[in-house]
Amino acid sequence: MKRRTFLKYSTAATVAAAGTSMIGGLPVRAVSPLGLLDSAEENDNILIIVQMFGGNDGLNTIIPAEDDTYQKIRPSIRVPAEFAYRIASSQTFMHPALVESHNDGFMRLWDDGRLAVIQGIGYENPNLSHFRSTDIWLSGINSSDPTVRLGDGWVGRYFAHRHPDFPQVTPDHPLAVQIGGTLSLAFRSERGDTGIALTNPEDFFELGQGLSPDEEPMAGDSAFAQEFNFIRTIARDSDRYSQVVKDAFDKGTNTLDYDKGFAKQLQLVARLISGGLRAKVYMVHMGGFDTHVQQQDISQQGQHPGLLKAFSAGVSQFMQDALEQGFANRVVGMNVSEFGRRPYENGSHGTDHGAASVQLVWGSKVKGFVYGENPDLKNLNANGDLVYQFDYRRIYAEVMQTWFGASEADSEAILGAKIIPLPILQSTATSVEIPVVRNAEAGLHIAPNPSQGESTLTFELVQPARVEVELYSSRGTLVTPVYSGLLGMGYHTLPVAVRQTGAYYCVLKANGRRLMVPFAVVR
Amino acid sequence: MSNRREFFSLLTRTMAEPARSQEQPARITPASGLEAYTAPLTLDDVYHLLRRITFAPTPALAQQLVGKTADEAVELLLGSGDDAPPASPGDWIDLATENPENADLDTRNSIEMQWQNNFARLQEWWVGLMHGEQLPAREKLTLFWSGHFTTEFTFDDKAMPPQLLYRQNQLIRSLRLGDFRQFAEDMTLNGAMLMYLGGELNVAGKPNENYGRELLELFTTGLGAYTEGDIQEAARILTGWRIARFNDEPALNGMYNTYFDAESHDIDAKQFMGESVAARTPDNNTEYLVRRDEVRELINIIFRQRPDAVARFISRKLYHYFVYSKPAAGDDTIINQLADVFKQSGFQIRPLVAALLKSAHFFDEANRGVQIKTPAECLAGLPRQLGTPDARVNDVMNTIEQVLMDPPNVAGWEGYRSWISTTTYPLRSQFARSYVQALPDTSAVNFAKQFPDYDDVEKLTAALERYFLPKSVSQSRHQNYVKTLLQGAPDYEWPQIIATDTAGAAVRLRALLSAFIKAPDFQLC
Repeated sequence: MKRRTFLKYSTAATVAAAGTSMIGGLPVRAVSPLGLLDSAEENDNILIIVQMFGGNDGLNTIIPAEDDTYQKIRPSIRVPAEFAYRIASSQTFMHPALVESHNDGFMRLWDDGRLAVIQGIGYENPNLSHFRSTDIWLSGINSSDPTVRLGDGWVGRYFAHRHPDFPQVTPDHPLAVQIGGTLSLAFRSERGDTGIALTNPEDFFELGQGLSPDEEPMAGDSAFAQEFNFIRTIARDSDRYSQVVKDAFDKGTNTLDYDKGFAKQLQLVARLISGGLRAKVYMVHMGGFDTHVQQQDISQQGQHPGLLKAFSAGVSQFMQDALEQGFANRVVGMNVSEFGRRPYENGSHGTDHGAASVQLVWGSKVKGFVYGENPDLKNLNANGDLVYQFDYRRIYAEVMQTWFGASEADSEAILGAKIIPLPILQSTATSVEIPVVRNAEAGLHIAPNPSQGESTLTFELVQPARVEVELYSSRGTLVTPVYSGLLGMGYHTLPVAVRQTGAYYCVLKANGRRLMVPFAVVR
Repeated sequence: MSNRREFFSLLTRTMAEPARSQEQPARITPASGLEAYTAPLTLDDVYHLLRRITFAPTPALAQQLVGKTADEAVELLLGSGDDAPPASPGDWIDLATENPENADLDTRNSIEMQWQNNFARLQEWWVGLMHGEQLPAREKLTLFWSGHFTTEFTFDDKAMPPQLLYRQNQLIRSLRLGDFRQFAEDMTLNGAMLMYLGGELNVAGKPNENYGRELLELFTTGLGAYTEGDIQEAARILTGWRIARFNDEPALNGMYNTYFDAESHDIDAKQFMGESVAARTPDNNTEYLVRRDEVRELINIIFRQRPDAVARFISRKLYHYFVYSKPAAGDDTIINQLADVFKQSGFQIRPLVAALLKSAHFFDEANRGVQIKTPAECLAGLPRQLGTPDARVNDVMNTIEQVLMDPPNVAGWEGYRSWISTTTYPLRSQFARSYVQALPDTSAVNFAKQFPDYDDVEKLTAALERYFLPKSVSQSRHQNYVKTLLQGAPDYEWPQIIATDTAGAAVRLRALLSAFIKAPDFQLC
């Protein structure tokens, strides 16, 4: 084990052991500076989403290999500790297929500080349908009412929000690119598709030329007019973007030839970025994760390891390419999958649909860390599934606010809920900081901690300010507002009352900055 | 309407009707309900009906149906449901296949290559049926159910023998209008289904939930009508069913047929949707009894305990398929009316489909031209409309995301707007253009001569507009299409061109068809 990675993991572990303010695996210095202003100009940061359809088995991806319960409940598909790769000095391991691939795969990314592992990603009231849960993930809306239609995506809503004239006025470059034949729900918005789908830029160019229809948009709101205009826009975009995609493809390069299959999608993404295509979000797709039968064998081969290996090689090759070409600082990648799988294996050497899972986020601007703890296999939910630790929308909120520079208000409007970002990314905002709370995060105190429900928040303002204080669950969703108003210079104390045992954040917002202090309640 | 002259006079009369209503302010939502559409069908009515219940209208079928009532036309189109099956795609359907699973790589490749070849023949066979369909119109419904009780040729990291898919496809065709309860039962024990959703590996003690979940979520009740516990109990009830897939496996009921493996079946009592399925002893743990008292009973309990959910779920899905596929389309009133028809018939499919297709709602102007053509409608449809088959249809369908018998996942094809993207639209367009460009001169001209007054350039253009586009076009579009057909010739020369200059007429007809293909509403039906 490399010394550097040991230190990185153990620092956080030490903090947790000291019991100061580690909650749910969050490091104590977890501060996410707000994008100070709602900048009208978007930065040139890029997000890459890898969709894993079928429900990736998180428990056999990032593995508690030394947990006896894990070994016991998965007799035929387990990964023994001697096969798994330990992350730093922790009790958390990677599946060998994540490591035994190009450049040591995800372990190399971890060693280089370019990998965030988010344990226990999920949401409240997990839905075990592939389709409903995929819609929940891609729409960014967790509705437990199955009759509520989830018809647009969080990325689509983000773009529609940032481009009020869309689609009458569309940018010169596509906003988002789907590698494949069918556009993801994530890119759909109420005002139309905010991305293009393509598989081969040369075909895209050859076939798209001249497809713009002669007909004007049809007036009125009839169903016929809506569908007519939908097709007209697709035809127009096929033509309109054929040239910029071709130009980027011709100008762009790759510094290495990627593996066959899945990795080729990422190779195309890298080439388009390298050639200057200004799409902000790319999505690639993997299927086959619905491993009800014959998931893997004891020699660690099989369907699931094959998928993990392809995933790992593709990401690793992409990152090498990005580093060698100098755009690694502009890209962040993440996987999404509708759910994890049941901890207990079934009798077909496979696993049935489950709930919470693991998410990997990679890139040079990622704060390398294992967020959250190994899954608690002794405290499953009523259905026998893993309990989530982080709401999945915390990653979206983080991407929007820290990576794209959107405001907290934007993020709230798009997600339709107050969600506190999980601070996994380095800020790229070049903001001038005007301190309002003395000593910033260190100046924020909550006591007693842990409390029995009644605590007091104290802080000092160095100048008068409008202050908002809110209480969030450790999973990242708003519990209750605590205070909102103007406060003068000097010391302040605010009562914070909580009814239920649990882990929380107290969040103070002033002057465009967000400070958080974690605390616990035991009743 | 058997007489050609009568047909022509009807067409002419139909064309003299007031222009269709695209230019008038369109109603946003349909005003009519499930009451019968009683007017004799006009040409536009018939085209609309044929666009939805076949893959595209043809002049010959239209001729048979114009002037009939919706009731008469739909009866003819649906048929009785017990018609003889189409001729098989080849002798391979009965050949036993070797087992690739533990074979060396070369053997495995050669077995799977054989499957791949036969699978392509199977798909082409089906495309041929879609292309050539007459009365009754079977294939649109067969495709609906194929996307409902889904299986895939390639899934996980393997494939399945196409012999199984052929058998499932024939079974679906024979049940397409039948008893939906029986349909659900037969699909539960179908070989392709057992292989696809892991039923063949479902064992007592550690059940596999895959089929049990999809049976409820996707095949019968839809989301929200069951608990996770129901899924687990359904999985237990369904333990023990196996399929004779390969020549080295037991074939207790014959090759490619399902059989029961008593040792794998969970004989303890089960609780499903509030009802009990009794425990059994090893003595009565037999194929006949378990099928009757557990599998059939499982399906019966679903229909007994959740009749409204089943009726609404299937009604809504058929509504989206035949009327408008937008997820929000179909308000509660019309869906509940359909669900009532379905329940009152004891879950017979034919009365449900017939009530929908004969309704004023189906023929409402607000529901015309709103469907985005599926790849099958687009690619099997155009050669069907022009009367000349194209061998590339299946290959191109495979590239534009409708691989017959191999949909993307267990929910079948998502449909609606997912059919059209900046990848698939240009490919559709390319296929249609190249098909039209390759159309032989005589075929093009003979096609045009099927329309009455084909020697009047205005009337021919108008007739082709209504044949290829789902709603009438504006006057300026019409004038442009007339100009496109003339290609600079004066309109009085058209009768002579089409009468004597086959090559010149064909060039002009191809230009007009290419202009239709480029229009957004060419993708609507």
